[in-house]
Amino acid sequence: MRDVIVIGAGGGGPVVAKELAAKGLDVLLLEAGPRHAKPREEWTTFEDDANNPLTGYFRLGPTDRSKPAWYREWPQNSFVWQLSGVGGTTQHFYGNYPRAYPGVFKGYDGADRNGYDVNHRFPFTYAEMVPYFEWVEALMPVQTAAMGHKEQMFFRGAETLGLPVQTTKTTHEPSYRPQENAILQPGGTAGKTSDKNLLNYPQATGCTFCGYCFQGCMRPNGAPRNQFAKRSTDNSYVPMALTANVWARGGKPIELIADAYVTRVHTESRHGVLTASGVTWRDNVSGEEHREDARVVVMSGGCTENPRLWFNSGLPNPNGWVGRGYTDHFFDWMIGSFDEYTGNPKGVGSSARLDYPPYGGLENVGLPPALSAFGGTLSDSGIRGQYKNGRGKTGPWDGPAGRVMGPELKELMAGGIDKLLTVLVITDDDVEAQNRVTLSALPADENGPIPKVTFKQRKRTKRTLKNREFMARKAAELLRGAGAKKVYRVDWAPLILHVQSSMRMGESEQNSVLDARGETRAVKRLFIADNSALSNGLGGPNPTLTSQALATRTAEKIFQTYFDGDPWVRTDSPVVSTDPRISVRLGQLGL
Amino acid sequence: MPVADPPPLSRRAFLARIGVLGAALGGGGLLARSMLAPADAATNPLLPPAVDLIRPVLAELARDTLNGLTVFAMPGPDAYSRTQGTLSRTPGALEAGATDFMINALDHFVPFPDAIAQPVGAALVTGLADSGIALPGLDLLPVELRSLDQALAAYLQSDAALPLSFPIAGLLNLMATQVNPLAVNGPHLSPFARLTYAEKAAAFELIEKTDSDLVALLDVQFPEPLKGSVSGLLKFVGGALIEFATFGAYSEYGVFDPDTRTLRKRPVAWTLSGYQPNGPVEGWDDFIGYYQGRMEVHD
Repeated sequence: MRDVIVIGAGGGGPVVAKELAAKGLDVLLLEAGPRHAKPREEWTTFEDDANNPLTGYFRLGPTDRSKPAWYREWPQNSFVWQLSGVGGTTQHFYGNYPRAYPGVFKGYDGADRNGYDVNHRFPFTYAEMVPYFEWVEALMPVQTAAMGHKEQMFFRGAETLGLPVQTTKTTHEPSYRPQENAILQPGGTAGKTSDKNLLNYPQATGCTFCGYCFQGCMRPNGAPRNQFAKRSTDNSYVPMALTANVWARGGKPIELIADAYVTRVHTESRHGVLTASGVTWRDNVSGEEHREDARVVVMSGGCTENPRLWFNSGLPNPNGWVGRGYTDHFFDWMIGSFDEYTGNPKGVGSSARLDYPPYGGLENVGLPPALSAFGGTLSDSGIRGQYKNGRGKTGPWDGPAGRVMGPELKELMAGGIDKLLTVLVITDDDVEAQNRVTLSALPADENGPIPKVTFKQRKRTKRTLKNREFMARKAAELLRGAGAKKVYRVDWAPLILHVQSSMRMGESEQNSVLDARGETRAVKRLFIADNSALSNGLGGPNPTLTSQALATRTAEKIFQTYFDGDPWVRTDSPVVSTDPRISVRLGQLGL
Repeated sequence: MPVADPPPLSRRAFLARIGVLGAALGGGGLLARSMLAPADAATNPLLPPAVDLIRPVLAELARDTLNGLTVFAMPGPDAYSRTQGTLSRTPGALEAGATDFMINALDHFVPFPDAIAQPVGAALVTGLADSGIALPGLDLLPVELRSLDQALAAYLQSDAALPLSFPIAGLLNLMATQVNPLAVNGPHLSPFARLTYAEKAAAFELIEKTDSDLVALLDVQFPEPLKGSVSGLLKFVGGALIEFATFGAYSEYGVFDPDTRTLRKRPVAWTLSGYQPNGPVEGWDDFIGYYQGRMEVHD
């Protein structure tokens, strides 16, 4: 009997695992995908090797890459970018850690209070969340992003829009700024040289500006795992959880098992109350099933897999909201081409942003060639100059929206990848019941019936559609202001990368799965701690910080409710995840 | 045993439209007509059964069709790009190995359950009725046609996993002949590869249209609750073919050595776009400083 079993070692699960390990609980962390314990031996810097969703090392599938990836049903032109493996999607993320806008929390009374998704706010206040934001920010640590040429160019465009610069952690108004990110600031030779002989740790510390965030961070070369620049959970929370005995008094290291696919959450009736009692998982390699019991079970498999596991476990869904209310920031993609050098594929993927509550936001995104090309061709508006698929909007960009492909894409890329600046358009999108995860009618895989992710992108709420158009125009104006000679709007089909709220926490029992403590309403001792627990799309900010802050809060609630413990976030200071005691212990463990 | 009636005209048209007829027996086709003649098959035990004859034909047909797709994503200095009307001086998708990328992905790595792939393939190849489009130049003896059709049916009904590249090629060719019926004949092996760039775009417009006839036809083949799933899949496939072909063409796939995890040559797209001129790096000297000199912020 474990104290706690956490299902999924992505962006959220390791937070709960680490916090409770520090309190001395016996925690088992199960990850469906690969461990990736030796990145220098397993990873490269190449896009197909890394990011091919069928065969890459960053895919949704088992460790053995000769076996197929796990198939998921998407009944529309879309791309749901799931990742298995320790670190989950933080393995390929850009480490952006903006706070959720205050307007998405209960009790907000700013002048723009009616502009948000007012029916789906968090069931507690922004002020209550702040200590948890601060805890995660100190732990990662979250810092102000260093600037490269592509950021300089983004700021040049932002300066033409008549907005102030944000110099606080909290976003109070439309404004722009460097990202607050979980990327260690460059130190020593990092960022100052391209000579690889000068870029070994500790001569170089923090971000070396290599430009490979999306292929996984394993730099500076030679650094301990917990001092790699990007604070994905495989570089931060997981190392802390595995070494809890050396940095927390009374701490107990977690047990981590990879290639362990949880297929069922078990329950029993205790005094007439449905209560979680354990899990069954399947070993990807041997196919053997294992079962363990626990006092508390935490689901952290992500927005698509949590609903699937819920349904496959036969758990109750009295209000029908399991899997519903999936938000994705309804992204769009704007490409600017320049006559001058932009530094597009160098440095952290995105280190500049513009926030525009209550509409959404923008951020620059640098990508290598294949991902750039992919980004240019994912569209719901046909092919520019050929057909529009019923859309093809016009505006302050050049020509109709649509795919930049074939000869046009080749010409654009031939102009130089260092002459492009791309902007991600982030929409403050509404929680909608119709955007959801159900079980697919297609054949099951070895782990049971598979999930189906449905997004009705053309039938979203008026507010969502209006916000996206508003932010797309701002993106085009920013690129013009930065000096773009040509601006292309792609009108992305749903690229589901920022995922939120499919098992949402809410005030009302009518449209939420979790109560305000993060426990499921239908099953006691069952908690959810990852992006799916978020109440809404946060107004547009990248979700990881808010998700980890909420998971920290949930860990406290678990400790208080079921282990007679005291909360710690308001009274203690966190150990920073780069702590040398962790590095030393990782070395002893061969990690 | 009574002799079966020859397949009706609509079957001939259909086999032509998905490209099988031309690839097998058309001008430049891969099979000698006599190989499908029943007299030979009955009397010569050295000749392989028709189903073995047709397998490599379908593989070549799929490759040719996908050549037509990958140059649509990234044209180059090749014959397919020339036919498409977008000849380019610099290397393109074929030089980048994008067709192999697509075939490898479709046939070995798309984790697409056979339980769906088989009926989708069968629906595409056996179930669709004649659209009434007149197709020129198909002077074929009924007996050869019947043999070909039977071989195809036997292949689709066999237990062997259907390579997904074949129904995908069939889909593209079917749409190609909808856009331009003349594409049943001409250079290359497949109707889709014979289209101009604008015609290929028109073919994708048909696939992406949410109310397309093809979607309706396919859904008819499946009972609930799979009905919507198949049409939904098709909407997904239309976008994915373009996006994935483009990703493959601009990636390092064609020159990557998985054993050493290094590149044998510089990828086509790296040369085209000027990406990391000296190969992979440990870092860049691109750090300028902090915006307005601010290294930290507080509330």
